[in-house]
Amino acid sequence: MPAPPEGDPWDTLRSLPFGQHLEITDERGVRWSGTVIPPHDLSSPRTLTLKLETGYNVGLRVGPSAAFRLLEGPRTAGLPAAAPPGARAAPHGGVEILTTGGTIASRVDYETGGVRPVSDEADILAFYPDLASSGEVRITPVLDVLSENITPADWIALAGKVVEAFGRGAEGVVIAHGTDTMGFTAAGLSFLLTDLPGPVVLVGAQRSPDRPSSDGPSNLYAAVRVARDRRIGEVVVVMHEGPSDDRFAIHRGTWVRKMHSSRRDAFESRNGPPLGTIDAKDVHLLPTVRAPSAGPPRVDGPLDGRGALLAFYPGLPASRARAFAEGMRGIVLAGTGLGHVAAEHFSWIREASARGVVVAMTTQCLEGIVDPYVYATGRDLLRAGVVYLDDLLPETAYAKLLWSLGHASTPDGVRELLLRDRAGEFHRRRPMEATP
Amino acid sequence: MKVGLEVHQQLATSKLFCACPSELTETTNATFARRLRPASGEERTVDAAAAFQASRGLLYRYESGPANCLVEADEEPPRPLNDQALDVALTMALLLGARVVDEIETMRKIVVDGSNTTGFQRTALVAVGGHVEVGGRRHEILSIALEEDAARKVGSSAGEVAYRLDRLGIPLIEIATGPSIASGAEAREVAQEIGALLRATRRVRRGIGTIREDLNVSTEGGRRIEVKGVQELRLLGEYADREEARQKLLLRLRDELVRRGARVEPAPIDVTGELADLSQGPLAAAVRGRGVVLALRLLGFAGLLGPQPGTDERLGRELADQARAAGLGGLVHSDEPPDPSFSEERRKRLRVYLQLTAADAFALIADHSRERAGRAAAAVAARAAAALEGVPGETRDPLPDGRTRFSRPLPGRDRLYPETDVPPVPVPDERLERLRARLPERPSATRSRLEREQGVPAELAGQLVYGNELDRFEELVGRGHPPLAVARLLTQELPGTVVPSGAPPFEPTVETLDELLGALARGQFSKEGTPKVLGQLAAGAPSVGEAVVRSGLAAADSGELARVVDRIVQEQIGLVRERREAAFSPLMGDVMRELRGRRDGREVADELRRAIAKALADGPH
Repeated sequence: MPAPPEGDPWDTLRSLPFGQHLEITDERGVRWSGTVIPPHDLSSPRTLTLKLETGYNVGLRVGPSAAFRLLEGPRTAGLPAAAPPGARAAPHGGVEILTTGGTIASRVDYETGGVRPVSDEADILAFYPDLASSGEVRITPVLDVLSENITPADWIALAGKVVEAFGRGAEGVVIAHGTDTMGFTAAGLSFLLTDLPGPVVLVGAQRSPDRPSSDGPSNLYAAVRVARDRRIGEVVVVMHEGPSDDRFAIHRGTWVRKMHSSRRDAFESRNGPPLGTIDAKDVHLLPTVRAPSAGPPRVDGPLDGRGALLAFYPGLPASRARAFAEGMRGIVLAGTGLGHVAAEHFSWIREASARGVVVAMTTQCLEGIVDPYVYATGRDLLRAGVVYLDDLLPETAYAKLLWSLGHASTPDGVRELLLRDRAGEFHRRRPMEATP
Repeated sequence: MKVGLEVHQQLATSKLFCACPSELTETTNATFARRLRPASGEERTVDAAAAFQASRGLLYRYESGPANCLVEADEEPPRPLNDQALDVALTMALLLGARVVDEIETMRKIVVDGSNTTGFQRTALVAVGGHVEVGGRRHEILSIALEEDAARKVGSSAGEVAYRLDRLGIPLIEIATGPSIASGAEAREVAQEIGALLRATRRVRRGIGTIREDLNVSTEGGRRIEVKGVQELRLLGEYADREEARQKLLLRLRDELVRRGARVEPAPIDVTGELADLSQGPLAAAVRGRGVVLALRLLGFAGLLGPQPGTDERLGRELADQARAAGLGGLVHSDEPPDPSFSEERRKRLRVYLQLTAADAFALIADHSRERAGRAAAAVAARAAAALEGVPGETRDPLPDGRTRFSRPLPGRDRLYPETDVPPVPVPDERLERLRARLPERPSATRSRLEREQGVPAELAGQLVYGNELDRFEELVGRGHPPLAVARLLTQELPGTVVPSGAPPFEPTVETLDELLGALARGQFSKEGTPKVLGQLAAGAPSVGEAVVRSGLAAADSGELARVVDRIVQEQIGLVRERREAAFSPLMGDVMRELRGRRDGREVADELRRAIAKALADGPH
């Protein structure tokens, strides 16, 4: 029989190690036995989570008269996995995979109930057992964060690791990245990296790799194949083209945006078709793909962090926007339609321009160009000093602004760099069939 | 024999983790293809059943339709557990006297046969304990769980399986009993009782496939066998009884194999070259198609693979099931009767080649893919070796003829790990109190109420309560129709309707039945004519009125009734005079045949008695 309770049983139960076997008799006299499991993040107070013999987890409210007794038995939960054989180093040739965290390198965290990034090479190989057999690969952990935490400073660090990887002889580099800000990083790297001798492929997953249906493995294997393609010398994103596991799209780093919060095919090239596709047989590429350079690759920094991205919305007070521009050297506006903001904003934009702050315009429509000539508002903004960035996505324009600020000291110099194509980011024309 | 039962009932709420309707459809508006691979649970072991399925390396094609959203396509995280479905499960827990858990944790049960796009089935334990009483015996309830139904398999071809997603996500209540059932007949009764309780909640789906039973069968000395997805309640007992017979046979064969010192050579021998001279049959096809034929040496197995006295189960079939599960059509073994494509003489030569004695047996595995044949041979060898141990624990599929077939190894507890995308649901006492205050009437109470208050005979009341028609019964009685007529229509006339071959299944709506009962009450046809009217409706009559006309049943009016009766009495006046009132019975049959249900039998009888009396009074004495 369980021992009679002494004091509040919850005090003991709450501090039991996970994996402890126990038998508990609840206040109705029902007896439960199982293993203590970490509670879900959103679990109720005084609730013990038990894994029963059947494998089910249940939550039991522990009342003051609950009785329990600890049982012998192996503590199974939470044991670390046996480390699989490590990847062979790829001294020459091969693909180097840089990991940054994100869903593609995350597992369910049974302590918090959420998904959590892993940085351990062995863990990653445990998720992607076929990697080692697909040719020479080397895994280099760089960051260990979900991508909402990645900053422009991280872009520079990553760019440095890419250059190092090519320096070690990699034929291509894959960056496993969280999908939330993968479009930003892809754009940032597109401007930072120059003279690339091979592909730099960003890849992510919309379903964590501890699920049998994860898109992580198929995306990663596709990315590794693209990284081996000797026709590519630029930064691209490889993700599912549609909901199926058998076709993937290759997006130019400056054209791509996460357009859905959860679908596998969330990433889309805007204003035109993707740079290519990859299926079971081949990698298909548009002729516009940038060819590899003879190298050596380098990081063409720095980035100047005194640039910002501001989305206009109806009711945005001009005073807020004015304050936002304080201390900045440049601002990308995501304006309405062809590139507009309310008339009350003209004055702060004029003043900022006069102070030497570069104000650039993109469209929050996320598809199509901005054009200052169609409406009076555009013409007014043009006169106020706004530079219109054609069909650049707001995120791409933001990354390009930071890079341009880092490479020109005068406002005119920044404007010139913003308008000059650097990484194939401008579409010169937008074919009709590209509009979905 | 010990039998435990798992009853799975679909609920008539929206889906368990999204707002899609719980409906089946034939419409497809999107398709996609996926692959699955096993993932490790929180204890980081890959479950045996999951690994087995993944080893097949299949491509899964999915059809998505109007009853689907991004959730079933695994393109959006699940929404929180459906509250209405949970209320139904909690109600069942209260009806069964089970202990509801304080906080419901949704789990992932790894299933990588493609029937779930996620690679797992979401399932949550809602309550444990409780009991159900059947025929004076008490059966413990082990667990009540709420889980999502799987996608519907709609086809398969080499390396691919196709599923429709409409069924995926429909809430299922799973009720598992302890192993207290002693016979197939009792299994059926317990399933019936649980089914009636489920229907008493009035929130369950009905129709073929909306309730399915799994049987857990173990015999003395055997192992637990799960027969999964029995849809036909009438076969439930047969599956249990035949499973018992199968396990007994396997144990008998085990004893004989052990006595003989039998053993299995695990390494197959390539006999493709040796059989190159065969010109027809499956073996020849594999040889010609540049495939491979592998032989397994089963030492001491001679005579034990084929038919055994007193049973139609056989070990050879168990081995063939393994080959089939590996993607082959089956196998050839040495206990099969010789046929022209593989003669006795030819077999002898193969025996010599394989160095087998008369006490030994062989199994041949042929396929055009060397790799698949190798995988199948390994599975067959493992199954043959398991025969020396007795009954391997496994999951078996029910076949329409009452037999079962190997489907996969028994899944273990490693299959369950937390579904972290779904928040836990606390169940406060107030919620249980609210549900307790409006518990539905129990089937036994409903049955006696129907008898007592509505005059429905006991047998029909039982059929209503334990069948599928109680809702419609109450609906139609509520519309003012006489309970007895409604009960007869739903339990006897409707199920007995003859549907013309080629016509779609006959599923009349409540409105149609309402119209039919109304027409009957208005005397547009007689109750004897009901089957004909139903037959015409089944054959496609657009309305009840039209069905009455097409069946030639427009009721005879009183004048016509009198004319027909008088004529028949006159025709048989000799008989009437001879047998007097006793002539009623033969004449009644004649009149009814002539009127063919166009007039109520009681009215016909009255009219006939009148006519006979009149004829006797009028005639010579």
